[in-house]
Parts: sequence; structure tokens; C-alpha cells
Amino acid sequence: MFKKYNYLKFSISFLLIALFFLNTNAQKQRWDVPADKKAKNSYIKFDNASSKDGEAIYTKNCLSCHGNPGKGNSMKTLKPIPPDLYSSLTQELTDGELFYIISVGRLVMPAFKDILSEEDRWKLISYVRSGNKKYVQVLSKTDPNKSKLVKIKLDFDSLTNKIKVIANAAEKTGIIPLKDAEVSLFAKRYFGKLQIEKTIRTNSEGIVIFNFPKDLPGDKAGLVDLSVKINDEVYGEIEFQNKLKVGIPTDKPSLTEKRAIWNVLKKAPIWLIITYTSLVFLVGFVLLFIVKNLMKLRKLGNN
Amino acid sequence: MLDQSKIDKITSDLLRHIRLNNKFVLWMGFLGISFVVCLYAYTLQLKEGLSVTGLGDYVSWGMYIANFVFFVATSLIGMLISAVLGLSGAKWASPLARIAEIIALAFAAVAGLVIVSDMGHPERLLNVFMYGRLQSPIVWDVTVVSIYVVISALLLYLPLIPDMKICYDKLDKVPKFQRNIYKILSLNWNGSLEQQRIIKQSTRILAILIIPVALAIHTVTSWLFAATSRVGWDSSIFGPYFVTGAFVSGTAAVIIAMYIYRKNYRLEDYITELHFDKMGKLLVLVSLVYLYFNLNEFMVPGYKMKKFDATHLNDLFAGSHAAMFWAVQILGLVLPILLLLFRKMRKPGPMMIIALFVIVGAWFKRYIIVVPTMEHPYLPIQNVPINFKIYSPTITETLITIAPIILVLIIITVLSKLVPIIPIQETIEHLEEETK
Repeated sequence: MFKKYNYLKFSISFLLIALFFLNTNAQKQRWDVPADKKAKNSYIKFDNASSKDGEAIYTKNCLSCHGNPGKGNSMKTLKPIPPDLYSSLTQELTDGELFYIISVGRLVMPAFKDILSEEDRWKLISYVRSGNKKYVQVLSKTDPNKSKLVKIKLDFDSLTNKIKVIANAAEKTGIIPLKDAEVSLFAKRYFGKLQIEKTIRTNSEGIVIFNFPKDLPGDKAGLVDLSVKINDEVYGEIEFQNKLKVGIPTDKPSLTEKRAIWNVLKKAPIWLIITYTSLVFLVGFVLLFIVKNLMKLRKLGNN
Repeated sequence: MLDQSKIDKITSDLLRHIRLNNKFVLWMGFLGISFVVCLYAYTLQLKEGLSVTGLGDYVSWGMYIANFVFFVATSLIGMLISAVLGLSGAKWASPLARIAEIIALAFAAVAGLVIVSDMGHPERLLNVFMYGRLQSPIVWDVTVVSIYVVISALLLYLPLIPDMKICYDKLDKVPKFQRNIYKILSLNWNGSLEQQRIIKQSTRILAILIIPVALAIHTVTSWLFAATSRVGWDSSIFGPYFVTGAFVSGTAAVIIAMYIYRKNYRLEDYITELHFDKMGKLLVLVSLVYLYFNLNEFMVPGYKMKKFDATHLNDLFAGSHAAMFWAVQILGLVLPILLLLFRKMRKPGPMMIIALFVIVGAWFKRYIIVVPTMEHPYLPIQNVPINFKIYSPTITETLITIAPIILVLIIITVLSKLVPIIPIQETIEHLEEETK
């Protein structure tokens, strides 16, 4: 009996320990970066100019959590604590790993793929590397100018409400479709971009099809500002913008058009102006009357 | 008819305090030095900006605004005593009218300065006039507080005109320029019936006018809070809640002033125990009304405990502000009401102590209204250091908060060395009426 009990205890502890390891392993896996991404290098040279641009981007997007690199003043209340980016923990990572982490984020860190362009993300890494004297950059052989060869076309089918994105590269050898490239479609809204569906990979003809929502408000004519973002292994990052008549025509007067309590002084509500000024004048008249009374009082004393 | 000796006694009694003595010099010296220390703190703020305070992005209203609300509140007593009691024919209150008006004028005039200290650089005040919107309660507040200062000054001055003449006639030992000022301010008063009629009429008009204006200043001050959608401020009873609270702190201020004047200026014959008894009852009345509004203000949201209200209320009832909250409600409101129900407690000595508790409680009540709400916004405060989330005032800020309080004391002290704080002419008239 006693032995049996011990056995039970042992197996539970074992299970717990196993679970613990399983759990840490699961967490560790999220930190892993695919091999091809790990080997990715920047096509931008890491120099003073790119580092300076990177610093500005850093201040806007990263500083609030990571703190000033090398100062160890990152946000300690977050879990896990964001690492100091000059620390060896960060500097031991390859450029590709850093790029991947910035792009997709991890744990509490958000993904910056749709916030920062590829160029900006590399500049950021340039800034992060500027504090590491031992670092030697390996430049990517990809030609950033290659992205300029890519031509993107947007087609809208009003019957099925689908948007077809066709991506081709105009090489000297002929038109080559972008195969297996990541494509994201966004609609411009008031406060940023709204992603339509998910990011989809192109087929062998360089085509992806998005189901466009039927109820998205557009401008007066139903036009919606669309932007397509393509990520290709060979051609890099390409952005394309176009206005298409895909939304519901919407004509709402601006909230600041008419007189309102929240509007500027010139557009104050009439009733308010009348109430305020008449009250101030009323009090003013009474006070003038009192002053006149006092002057009369003084005159009476003279006689 | 009243005999001349009695009139002379009243006149000399009530003019006795208008002279410089060592006590006054010592007290003014103390106030002056304290004020200079506080001014130094203010120069630090001018140099460094509002970063010398505990204010930040999240808690942007702190002690300064609480102080402002307290000042506007206390100034409301002028309206209650000289207008409401005066117009309703409560004769016992007339000797206290001038004390109430002096307190009202001093607090209302300095309230504007308190706001300027919260602006950081004082020239930002001009922005209110250059860019202010008619739709904003801030502009309404600036308007009504200015009007209230003017009316309070006039309500202090009008009944003073006959007394100015008495001062000019009787005070032959004061410096010449002071006598000249008395002469100018007495506006050729000769006591004719027509002059008396003018004074009576004008005072009456102002006493009527000041009631809506006084209600407006504190209601609009409450709207500075209630017009925003924030927990603890988003309340439809905030106007009356503020106004009734104002009467509590103002009544306490008058009681304290009464006690000090009576003791120092030997005015026992004029500020009698009857006045204390009546003021004690008045304090119970206004406190009970205020307690009723407090009950509504905390009971109704406390019963529902809506998500965001709950965070706020739990913090007040049992969280980081609980000690202050309960101290204010119990020591500053409930206990004073209970104690003042007993006649023995409505004697000058005990009432002075109770009034001190009430007025200190009233100040901290404003702190409880302003600060905890700022710490509980609807959008969660994320990724900022802890001192951004929780407000703790700095020493510099505390000194700048004390400065206006000292300034008010200076104004009250100086005024009570220049004018008779009990109306002489009125006291004589009342006695004449009684002997008839």
C-alpha cells in the first residue's frame, strides 16, 4: 500500500516535470527561426546613414519597450522582459533572425511586417548593430532594384466580389510570373490599413484571389484605396496602390461641418452664443446700474 | 433713541482692531516669510516646468485643481450669509456678513491664481482668451468666477460706505494717506435718507444677483468634471453635490474666522455665543444636505458596480485611497454633524476645533474627487513606469499649493486691519430699532 502510494507520487512528479519540459520546449520552438530566414541578409549597407535612419525608426516603434540600447532601461513590467538590444543575447542572433523576429513578432512583441517596410526593418537592424564593434556585415546578393521589374495588376469581379492580383516580373528574357510569393491586400481606412482576408501565396501563374467584403464603405463614388504588398524570395518587397470601385458609395457629412458643441468657436451653436452673451450683458447692465447708483450717492453728498 | 455714550462705545469697540500692533507685525512676518518660501518653489516651477510636480500624462489634474475647487467652494459662503440669510430676514447673521464677504472675496480672487499655477507658465492664461471656445465649461468658469469676484467686492464695499465715513471721522491716529483713502471710499456719505435708500436698493439688487452667480460658479466648476466621460465624475448630481459641499467648507471657514476675531479683537459682545450656536446649527444643516448628496453619489454607482466604476469605487472604499476617503467622510462630515447636535458642542471653543476638522476634511474631499478618477481612465494605462499611474505630489508642488492659502490669509489679515469687520452703522441701527 505504502509502496503503491509512493509510486503514485513518483509518477505524478514525473508527469509534472515532463509537462514542464514540454512546455518550455513549446516556448522555445516559437523562438526558432526557419533556416532559410536565418540566412537572409540585408541588401542595405549598414553605415552611419542607415543607422541614423534606423535610430529614428527605433525611437518611434521600439524604444517604449526595449529602452535605449546599452542602457538596460527596458520595460521591466513586461513578461518576458524585452532584452536590451546591445546585449549579447540579441547580438548573437544573425541578421536574418533579427529581421524575422521584427517581421513576425513573438510573445508580447507585435509583428512589424505591415507597419515597417523591408527597407525600414533593415535600417533598424543597422542601428541595433551599430553598438557592436565585432560585427561584420554580410551583404545580400539580392538586387533591390529587381523589385522594380515587378508589375502588379488588380482586377475586380463585381459579380463574385472577388479581387484578382496578378504579379509578373518583366525580365529581359520575358514575362515571368511571381510564384509562391506572399501577397497581402489592404483597404485604407481612417486610422490605418485594414487587411482583407489573410496573406495568401501566389500560384504558379503569379495569381491570388481575395474575397472582398460586400459591405465595405467607400467614398462618394464607392472608391476604396487599396494597397497590395508582395514579399518574394527573389524580387523582395513590392508595394502597389490603386483605387478601385469596390466599396459602397458613402456620403456622410463630416462631424465638424455643422455648428456643434464640439466644434470650433466659429461654429458654436447659436443658442449657446445667445444664452452666454445675453447673460453676460444682463449682469453687465446690473453692475453698470450699481456704479451709476454709487455716482449718484457721491453727488448727493456734495450738496 | 439710543444715547450717544452707547453709540460711542460701539464705535470705539468696533474700531479698536484697526491699528498696528506687535501681534499683527509678527503674524504678517510669519505669513510673509512662508509666502516667500512658497514663491521660491514657484520660481522652480517656472524654470523647470510642471515636471517639478507629480503631474504627468495620465494624472494631469492633481493638488492644484483640488485646491482650486476648494477655493471656489469656500468663497460661496458670501452668498449664503449675506444674500440668502440676509434676504430671508435672519437678522442674527448681519454682524457676520462682512466676515463672510471678506472670506468670499479673498478665496474667489485667489482661485484664479491657483489655476494659473496649474498652467505651468502663467502667460498660457492668455490662451483662454485667444483660443477659448464658448462651448467649453472652462470659458464659462472664467466668466462666472470673474463676475463673482466683482459682485463680492461690491457686496463688501456697499455696506462699508457709512463705516468708511466713521473711520475717517474717528480714526485720527492712522497715517494721513489711510484717512484719505477712507475719505475717498466714503463717497461723501452724510447719512441722508436718499443716500440710505440708494445703498439699501443697490445692496438688495446685488444680494439677489449673487445667488444665481454663486450657484453658477460652483455648478460650472463641477461641470469641468461632470462634462467629461470619466468614472467618478460622470454624474448628473455633480452640480448640487458641489454647491452643498461648498456651503460646508465655507460655513466652517466663517466659524474659524469668527472665533479668531472674537478672541483677538475682544468682540465677545458682538460675536456672541448665540452666533456660534446659530452657525453650529447652520453647519449641521448644510452638512446633512451634503451627506445626503454623498450618499447618492456613492450609493447609486456602488450598488450597481459597473465594470469601470467598480475599479474606482473599490479603490476609494478599500483600496489605496480608502484611508483618506473614510477619514474625510467620518471625521470631516459624520462626526461633526453628530457632535454639533449637542448644545455644549456649539460653544466657541469646541466649534472652532470641529470647524478645523471640517475645513481640512473639505480640502481632502476635493483631492478625493479629483485625483482617484484621473488614476482610473477607461483605456488601460499600459507600458509606463509606476509613477505615471499613481499620483504622488512633490514637495515643490505642495509648497505651491500652500502659497494661495497663505495669500488668502494675508488678504484677510490686511483687510481686517483696514476696515471694521463688524458693520458699525448696521449694529447701531439694529440697536436703535430694538430700543424703539
